Amino acid sequence: MKLTFSKEDEQFREEIAAWLKANLVGEFEQLKFRGGPGDEHMFPEERKQWEQKLAEGGWTCVGWPKEYGGRGASIEQQVIFFEEYARAGAPGRVGHIGEGLAGPTLIAFGTEAQKQKYLPGIVSGKELWCQGYSEPSAGSDLANVKTKARLDEKTGKWSINGQKVWTSLAHESDWCFVVARTDPDSVAHKGLGFFLVSMHQPGVTVRPIEQLTGTSEFNEVFFDDAVAEDIVGEPGDGWKVAMGLLGFERGVSTLGQQMLFQNELDEIVRIAKANGAAKDPVLRQRIAEAHTGLRLMRYNAMRMLSDTSGGALQKAALVYKLHWASWHRNLGALAMDVLGPEAEMLESAPYNLTRLQSMYLFTRSDTIYGGTNQIQRNIIAERGLGMPKEPKGR
Amino acid sequence: MDFTFTEDQLLFQESVRDFLVNEVTTESIRALWETKTGRSDELWQQLVEMGLVGMTVPEAQGGLGMNAVDFVLLAQECGYVALPENLVETVLVVAPLLAALPESDVRNEWLQKMAAGEARIAVGHSRNPLVSDAHTADAWLLQHNDEVHLVKARKKNMRRNESVDPSRRLHSIEWAPKPATCLAKGPAGKALWMQALNYGALGVAAQSLGLAQRMIDLSVKYTSERQQFGKPIGSFQAVKHHMANVAVQLEYAKAPVYRAAWSLANNHRHAGVHVSHAKIAATEAALLAARNGIQVHGAMGYTWEVDMHIFAKRAWALDGAWGDRAFHKTRVAKFVLKDNALIGASNTFVA
Ligand SMILES: Cc1cc2nc3c(=O)[nH]c(=O)nc-3n(C[C@H](O)[C@H](O)[C@H](O)COP(=O)(O)OP(=O)(O)OC[C@H]3O[C@@H](n4cnc5c(N)ncnc54)[C@H](O)[C@@H]3O)c2cc1C
Repeated sequence: MKLTFSKEDEQFREEIAAWLKANLVGEFEQLKFRGGPGDEHMFPEERKQWEQKLAEGGWTCVGWPKEYGGRGASIEQQVIFFEEYARAGAPGRVGHIGEGLAGPTLIAFGTEAQKQKYLPGIVSGKELWCQGYSEPSAGSDLANVKTKARLDEKTGKWSINGQKVWTSLAHESDWCFVVARTDPDSVAHKGLGFFLVSMHQPGVTVRPIEQLTGTSEFNEVFFDDAVAEDIVGEPGDGWKVAMGLLGFERGVSTLGQQMLFQNELDEIVRIAKANGAAKDPVLRQRIAEAHTGLRLMRYNAMRMLSDTSGGALQKAALVYKLHWASWHRNLGALAMDVLGPEAEMLESAPYNLTRLQSMYLFTRSDTIYGGTNQIQRNIIAERGLGMPKEPKGR
Repeated sequence: MDFTFTEDQLLFQESVRDFLVNEVTTESIRALWETKTGRSDELWQQLVEMGLVGMTVPEAQGGLGMNAVDFVLLAQECGYVALPENLVETVLVVAPLLAALPESDVRNEWLQKMAAGEARIAVGHSRNPLVSDAHTADAWLLQHNDEVHLVKARKKNMRRNESVDPSRRLHSIEWAPKPATCLAKGPAGKALWMQALNYGALGVAAQSLGLAQRMIDLSVKYTSERQQFGKPIGSFQAVKHHMANVAVQLEYAKAPVYRAAWSLANNHRHAGVHVSHAKIAATEAALLAARNGIQVHGAMGYTWEVDMHIFAKRAWALDGAWGDRAFHKTRVAKFVLKDNALIGASNTFVA
């Protein structure tokens, strides 16, 4: 055990801090502290530009291997990167689905040709990705996917028919990874494939869904004879690849999220001190709990990521989502209670939420997406503790 | 000792519920969001004709001369439909406040006009940063320290501030107190504003009960229909327990709300503490209903299109109105920790 950063690490910190200081200026100044949870709809174009700026500096995909365009940064350095990124108030990343999910999945499961084809677009910040898992009848029951993939013998390409729903950022994306049924007679997690589909083709229609925030971050996506550019793994491997990707969702990509949480907590503390809420004994204690809860999250992420033997990693990975989602949901409620009677007042007409309101409303969904709290508990009990499986209806 | 309502009170509740459920649908609420005032004059006149607007106006001024116990169940129904109109504050805050003033032409005239549906009054209290429904009011009851002022409403003096609940129409008001508009001051004024706060908080508590019930009803219906893993999701214990937990809190929040209504109607010396208890219990039930209701709807509960958020947002907004939870908890704590506090077993129902 060693809970400090090395000298080289501190040099790395200076390097990224200096780069952010020099580059998060001018046209990018307005992006500071924007685009975080609940604020993803803000400045999409400017944030796409920022993504490319980061890429020019070599600050996208810092944890990827060098051979695929990353920096090969150690876990410590990735932590430092995210710490400094958040401290500078640099904006929410529009490229996070590509960098955090699609890329690592391709690195783990893709062919060399696929890596050469797709990874550079992610590294350069020019190609954005979205996640096509959920369907109207496949939410918690993800294996109930009905979207079909059919191999066209003549072209050798797969064609996709069906509907996805709740697809975050589909309207901004160039690519979608789609879980679809390759074997029409199969059920559940057998007979699925993992496809890479261009969003820029006539067979793909994106329809935004309005959220209770009044904004649209997620969408319905319809596939009518859409052509898949590639399949990752073999037909029938879809479930394995899809689940591998969910593992990345719980890994290093959560580090950046924790730092955003820290920024939110800092703002709540600042307001509580200014408006007197910090004198209220109940709110004081809840602020202290929020602080310890976030530290718990950070310590455990480091413990999980620094154990390469796989032991602690597996258990910690199972509890991770449930913990942060519940913590963040409570942080939202704390923010509103700290604001007191002013919590309901919007920033401006027609329905522009304040940053903390966006955060509060967004945290209502944290315990739902990426596997609901109930599903997480089932996983912890069944996979983690080996308890008997709940009986299913099919 | 009798904790029940009379047959008349229950019948009135039933007919008001039938009326509101038919007239105030989630479609009509959404349609009103798009209008300038967000209010329906036609609906207000119907509420006047049913005697609801003048319920607590003294009979001498054309009202029904009833009290908080008579109205509390109706306020609950207003919550159940998320009524956009400012009926609850009108009946529970404005009319009792005016009625408590010494007889005068001003007092009598406004009470009369209110009951007849010829005028509306909005109220601004120092605990609320903004005034609800100032825009459809003919006069504003405003607080300046201990003074109660009745000020003619002027559009140019108010500015709208949006609420997280699109049905709520909040305004900040610019005004200067003048001797001519002052109706009460000193200890009498102070007592009136304390009474207003208690009645306002009771109104929120009663509406929160209705809101919680509505969110349970919506969630029970949705989880009975939605299928995952080949079963209705409502059959999963985790989902059921989410709703059962709300039902427990809601059922138990009713008694303190009715107790607070009785205490206000009977000028109980500890009515304020009873109101605080009621508001904490009822808003906590409504907040849990919102949280769990959205959760069991899955992503559907996070959309604008599904009705859950209409009720959740009202619950969130009302939570901070007429004293937030921190304020009311502090009031209860002060009461309990006083040196000669009346907290022994035999003091539960002490007069
Ligand atoms: C903001 C947001 C962004 C999203 N982005 C994406 C995206 O980019 N791509 C994508 O593919 N999907 C996305 N989703 C979808 C998300 O993954 C699903 O919402 C989630 O998996 C739950 O599915 P559902 O909404 O259909 O709810 P349901 O599965 O219908 O669940 C409803 C309720 O029933 C409970 N429940 C269901 N089954 C069980 C069980 N067996 N035991 C106990 N309780 C159960 C759930 O916990 C929940 O409370 C997003 C969702 C949100 C809210």
